[in-house]
Amino acid sequence: MEETESIAARGAGQEELYREAVAAYGAPLGRLARAYEMDADARRDLLQEIHLALWRSFASFDARCSLRTWTYRVAHNAAASHVLRQRRRRALVLVSLEELEAMPDPGEGPRAADERHTLDRLLALIQQLRPLDRQVILSYLEGMDAASTAEITGISAGNVATKIHRIKQILARRFHEGEPHG
Amino acid sequence: MDDMKDVWQKQAAENATVSLEEVRRKAGRFRATIFWRNVREYSVLGLLTAWFGLYAWRSPFPVMRVGNGLTVAGLLYAGYQLHKRASAAAAPADLARKTCLHFHRAQLERQRDALRGVWRWYLGPMIPGLAVIAVAAGIAGFERSWSAGLAVVLFAVAGAMLYVGLGRLNQGAARRLQGQIEALDAIEKEPK
Repeated sequence: MEETESIAARGAGQEELYREAVAAYGAPLGRLARAYEMDADARRDLLQEIHLALWRSFASFDARCSLRTWTYRVAHNAAASHVLRQRRRRALVLVSLEELEAMPDPGEGPRAADERHTLDRLLALIQQLRPLDRQVILSYLEGMDAASTAEITGISAGNVATKIHRIKQILARRFHEGEPHG
Repeated sequence: MDDMKDVWQKQAAENATVSLEEVRRKAGRFRATIFWRNVREYSVLGLLTAWFGLYAWRSPFPVMRVGNGLTVAGLLYAGYQLHKRASAAAAPADLARKTCLHFHRAQLERQRDALRGVWRWYLGPMIPGLAVIAVAAGIAGFERSWSAGLAVVLFAVAGAMLYVGLGRLNQGAARRLQGQIEALDAIEKEPK
């Protein structure tokens, strides 16, 4: 909360807050857009949409939560709205973590060891998920703890922990099967 | 599983920066999009109102005048509802003040209510006017010939079926959204 207090004390304006948020979380926002939109042009548009939403939201920043929580909530909520619109347009079928866990691995042949391929498969997996589960897996991959994820998403910390356990199982099954342990 | 986090966090950033200038341009485009969407919707509404209004004023048959007048009233009511619903969109700070769960639920609720109430605010208000027009056209058709009257009846039945079909499609979509809302409620009720 120190960060929030210092922002409140400085009485930072809309533009300053926006610049601060982008300096601190610009790269994660780019990765977040990538997890929500696979088409490159639409992704650029989504990223601009997220930044616009962030900039507009800072006109009434009230320092009741940290800059990080504020930024991630705006980004996830703007991106989830984008997914809902796209789902109607492209007739996408999204699944929950529980459903994904029960689905068979698509089995893409021999597993390439390069990170690029792993990243593509990881993105494909994330893009199948419903918004809330997508938000949890992204927070996990960004290295957030369960409490921070709970604050952003509104899901209880216990439930986040259960979902993270499930995410780890899915990732282990899909990305490490057949590899030597140790 | 830390290797997956590494893969994720170390991915090459693809032109992830957005300048403040770009954000301002996007804000301008956003306002322009909203403006032109409103122009489009209100123009269609205006044209239809003018069309039915003209018949309400100029038609030599009193029943037709009543039917067209009622349709104009229905169009104006639907237009007012459209305007009200568009203005109820989320404020910029809502995106941050609401958790993802609450924001997502509010969006689904808004869509569900719009679909569920489609008879009340969009399809329904047009029914009295269109029904009166159909009856008047049917009477005039039968006065001319059986085949003309029958054509009007068939046209009216097809229109009614289209109306009912549209209503059912919307109700089905509203039910699916309700299922998603209930799933979110179940997540919220889970122990802390």
